[in-house]
Amino acid sequence: MRRAALALGALGLLAWPWAAPRYFVFLASLIVVNAIVAIGLNLLSGYTNQLSFGHAGFLAVGAYTAAIVTTRWPGIPVVATLAAAALVTAAVGLALGLPCLRLEGLYLAMATLAFGFVVVEAILNLDWLTRGNDGLRVPAARLGPWALATDTARYYLVVAVGAFMVWAALNLARTRTGRALLAIRESEIAAQASGVHLAWYKTLAFVVSAFYTGVAGGLFAFVVGFLSPDAFDVFLSVDFVAMIIVGGLGSVPGSIAGAALLTVLNDSLAGFQNYRPLIFGAILIGSMLFMPGGVASATRFLKGERA
Amino acid sequence: MTISTTALAHVVVSGLATGSIYALVAISLVIIYNATRTLNFAQGEMLMVSTFVGWTAYHRLQLPLVAVLLVAVAVGALLGWAIERAIIRHAITATHFDVLIITLGLSLALRAGAGLVWTHEELPFPSFFANRPVALGPVRVAPVSLGIIGASLALMLALYALFTRTRLGRAMRAVAQNQRAARLMGISVERVYSASWVLAGAVGAIAGVLIAPVVFLSSKMGLVAINGFIAAVLGGFGSMPGAVVGGMLLGVLENLAPLYLPSSIKHSVPFILLIAILLVRPGGVLGRVARRKV
Repeated sequence: MRRAALALGALGLLAWPWAAPRYFVFLASLIVVNAIVAIGLNLLSGYTNQLSFGHAGFLAVGAYTAAIVTTRWPGIPVVATLAAAALVTAAVGLALGLPCLRLEGLYLAMATLAFGFVVVEAILNLDWLTRGNDGLRVPAARLGPWALATDTARYYLVVAVGAFMVWAALNLARTRTGRALLAIRESEIAAQASGVHLAWYKTLAFVVSAFYTGVAGGLFAFVVGFLSPDAFDVFLSVDFVAMIIVGGLGSVPGSIAGAALLTVLNDSLAGFQNYRPLIFGAILIGSMLFMPGGVASATRFLKGERA
Repeated sequence: MTISTTALAHVVVSGLATGSIYALVAISLVIIYNATRTLNFAQGEMLMVSTFVGWTAYHRLQLPLVAVLLVAVAVGALLGWAIERAIIRHAITATHFDVLIITLGLSLALRAGAGLVWTHEELPFPSFFANRPVALGPVRVAPVSLGIIGASLALMLALYALFTRTRLGRAMRAVAQNQRAARLMGISVERVYSASWVLAGAVGAIAGVLIAPVVFLSSKMGLVAINGFIAAVLGGFGSMPGAVVGGMLLGVLENLAPLYLPSSIKHSVPFILLIAILLVRPGGVLGRVARRKV
């Protein structure tokens, strides 16, 4: 049953570019990119209770790294580019995560918010590297002899990488590290008393979260093809938070559902920019009041389990 | 680069004026934090909406400025009361996380709502004080700066009296210290929640009416709350004197920074300051790091 559903889903994902118009192929790629960010953010917020309002900043670091690497060394395979984007972002995550260990709750939220602003300012000021406000055009990604220059090619790249990241996140929960993170989620003090090294695992969660967002950033650069600092403002960070709130904290399928829902909503509201924040705000309030566990707990509830 | 003392004094005075506004916003954040242990992300937007209603009263009803201020304060208080009663109190699980997200949603919705009801453009706002600099000894200062500083200090003194001399103020301080003990002493904690939101809304409205003539009235005006947060953290989140000191410090440093630093990093100054203080002294200049109990 489960295997059949998985196979059907995979088939649907593979067939999508042949069934849907070109724009929807692009939109699907964007959903996968956002889902990777949401999973990464959820590893941090859902498991270790560290709320981040700076993930747009991490996404920007990953995206600009990928864009700059591809521009400087045009022949480089896309896997190496994405790895570079992920590693650079993870390093930034480590640099931010280490000092932020001393902070919790509100203070961490404020520090990550500040980080997001500083990244945008840094992009504006490092214009010899990032071209500042003019924006940066991203060359097509290359995989061996092929240039991934069409929406369909980019879609397959994004889906393949996305599937790997989802698989890794699902399996993480079954490792020693995953169990430690779950213990921290239930109670920091109890986890610490049971021998979980709190500082180590919290830093690790920060780095892994940044790593995920870096990969997503690299993919984002190729999917969108053009980067400018205003795309990575604080409202994008808020969108990511909204995705995991709507989807459900601490749930990988929930992150994907939240990312899909909000990306589609965002896109369908493109013509109503003035109403968009109003609706997003209402969604945030509504899901906190009526659905604190997000979509993930709603499906659990339907199946008759208690969240 | 040398800067004359009088020019420096001018910069410091206008820094203190902006700082007073940050301090007022920080105070209103701390009032809610002390009662409910959560951050009100919508504080800036509550302030903005109150100021917009004041602007409407000024233009539609031709009210005098003092009445405009009273209207804005009443609207701010009402808005705080309504939000607490209608939404915050119903957050079922009500961890701090939830309320934080709810106020974040409110801030988005209120900003967009104000843009729809009024405008997303910037509007001029009438001021109590003249903008033309007057000579104060060798130093030239703008009356608007002195006015903002004076009005803010008066409000701070009134708040100080409220917190130390009245029953309500003592109840609020008791709840801030220990909610369970306060409840056992017969204090209605729910009433303190309500009062905190009302008070925060009113203080925010005054800050809004004071700053609107300087920065213009706009739906984005609520972003001043970010600097309010930073001010509160600088002084030590949860401490009222800390909020005042943090606000003044941030205002002055933000105004001084462009004189000594390249202008390109001017906008980052508050954020760099925030990260720096969180690293070096997370408890703030006046605060203490809270010890968490099991």
